[in-house]
Amino acid sequence: METELQILWAAVVAYVVGGTLAVVTLVLGKRRERTILGLIACGLGLQTLSIALRWERLGHGPFITMFEILCSNVWSLMLAYLIAYWRIPRIRGSAAVVMPLMFIMLGWLMLAHPGEGHFPPTYTTPWLFIHIGLGKVFLGAVLVAVGLSCVILLRRAGIGVSRFQQLPPDRQLDELAFRCMAIGLIFHTLMLIAGAIWAQDAWGRYWAWDPLETWAFITWLTVAFTLHARVTFRVSPQAHATMILMVFVTAFLTFFGVPFISQAAHQGAI
Amino acid sequence: MNRKDVATGAASGGITINLADKYRAVVGLMRRLASLRLTLILFALLACGIVIAYQLSEARTWPVVIPLLLLAANLVAAVATNAVFRRQTALLVFHLSLVALLILVAAGRLTYLTGHVGVTDGAIFDGTLIDAAHGPWHNGNLASVRFISKGFSIDYEPGLHRGPTRNQVAWLGTDGRWRDAEIGDQEALIIEGYRFYTTHNKGFAPVFTWKPDGGPTVQGSVQLPPFPMLQYSQAAEWTPPGATVSIWIMLDIDEVVLDAEDHTRFRLPKNYKLVARIGQERYEMQPGGSVRVGDGVLVFEGLRSWMGYKVFYDWTLPWLFSACALAVASLACHFWQKFSVRRWDE
Ligand code: HEM
Repeated sequence: METELQILWAAVVAYVVGGTLAVVTLVLGKRRERTILGLIACGLGLQTLSIALRWERLGHGPFITMFEILCSNVWSLMLAYLIAYWRIPRIRGSAAVVMPLMFIMLGWLMLAHPGEGHFPPTYTTPWLFIHIGLGKVFLGAVLVAVGLSCVILLRRAGIGVSRFQQLPPDRQLDELAFRCMAIGLIFHTLMLIAGAIWAQDAWGRYWAWDPLETWAFITWLTVAFTLHARVTFRVSPQAHATMILMVFVTAFLTFFGVPFISQAAHQGAI
Repeated sequence: MNRKDVATGAASGGITINLADKYRAVVGLMRRLASLRLTLILFALLACGIVIAYQLSEARTWPVVIPLLLLAANLVAAVATNAVFRRQTALLVFHLSLVALLILVAAGRLTYLTGHVGVTDGAIFDGTLIDAAHGPWHNGNLASVRFISKGFSIDYEPGLHRGPTRNQVAWLGTDGRWRDAEIGDQEALIIEGYRFYTTHNKGFAPVFTWKPDGGPTVQGSVQLPPFPMLQYSQAAEWTPPGATVSIWIMLDIDEVVLDAEDHTRFRLPKNYKLVARIGQERYEMQPGGSVRVGDGVLVFEGLRSWMGYKVFYDWTLPWLFSACALAVASLACHFWQKFSVRRWDE
């Protein structure tokens, strides 16, 4: 366990250095994009190793305890952002807002207890990976949209206008954020379907409005609301960005708040 | 043209104008109902309804159903009047599959059945449930469903963490043949649309033969409370069929059946006695032992285990899945078409 945690710490250090560099270079008007890309990739590689070692030791993936849920989500969010950062060079400046957001999760992760939990028999199914994997893609897509939305909102608020000059104009950021939300909707829908199939197999009901199901459905509605509002009312990038932040908050509370406060979330552990 | 023709022409013209007016009025109403502003309001209303239904157990249905019905009306009106749907087929298919989903869920709620039953190993499930809830139009054939639990195995990790459940069953097909199957955590037994799921509820069941004076002998079992969940209250009250007195039965186990410190497996206890109390009298019984109860003799045949099943019936499941698959595929198709017009990094 010691080695796993040390490697995880090393990964966190790489992420933090990468994120700090993203903020500092943006403020100084410099560009160190390759270094930042390298540091995030390095952090991701180390974290993958740490997760793999723990997986090997416990015989199951990071799906049970809060520590594991946070760790696997930091991993998937970093991966999603890394792909966006690598494939869409024009939005790289958004790392200066996305990485500090990730610092909050990293801090929470470091505070969580790394002890092990019981792997319930209902989790021994490929649906576990499918359901959780789809949810991670959803959250990753929303994170990228959130990064772009924050840039729009900061610029509108007159903060860092010249610093964020390197990013495309608001209209284009808005379109990209919208595309991310569209991907998010598809994957969230798939996650709900996979979850329903799994729940039917494991618990004999496909939907029972348990706390997690209820909040996941509300999150789905907020995404539908955002997409509709943009298409039908041609809302300003600012208003769209605000709605995306609200979706993110709802999704974040659903993914990390509900399992944390409710013992009854997805009764599967019995 | 004679007078009569003029009169008829005027009359039919009146009807035409009238119909056209009505048509225009209906279309106008539909257009209003199709408002996308209304869609947003209804989304918000549905979210509020869900929160209300979640908070108040006495208002589970209507806060959700009303916004859903309004959304369905809103969507149907939009499909009928909004030209966007004629230009964008994938978008149309997506929204129609949402309507289909809604109809299927409603049909499912009208015809579903859920319930529970405990089945003692070796005994035949006779179509009777301990508790059940069903939609008003449920008309499945549960009464003719038959299966036998032939035993199960459950492994426990230290701390009494339950591992996989494997349950051997035999079930009667509609062709009159018995078939074997193994069911468990992810695998239900499906007979005539009824799904039987093993649960964490299981325990011990003393089996008795009841020989009433002058009546036919019957055999049955008494399912004691779930084990190990209620391992310190293994008692139940029971009245043999046709008897006038009730019997209180307790299983007194003299060993550790599931060791919380170790890897272990669910099994029947070896060292136990069965305590039966009839009125003021107390008897300790071993397998094969008998006792007179009022106007009959009760023979304790031995101990078996019982498995608790969750029962679920909903014929819409495959259709729901198809509607979901169609919805996601058409949604993906819509966005693909929309986004392929311009590159992502432009
Ligand atoms: C129930 C009432 C609904 C109505 C009346 C409705 C109507 C519409 C209409 C007319 C459009 C086309 C807008 C345009 O391109 O100008 C649209 C688009 C869309 N709707 Fe709905 N819809 C409803 C429900 C939903 C729901 C529940 C969802 C779930 C997510 C949804 C998701 C979408 C999506 C993703 C688009 C495409 C946006 C785009 O083209 O970028 N709709 N809807």
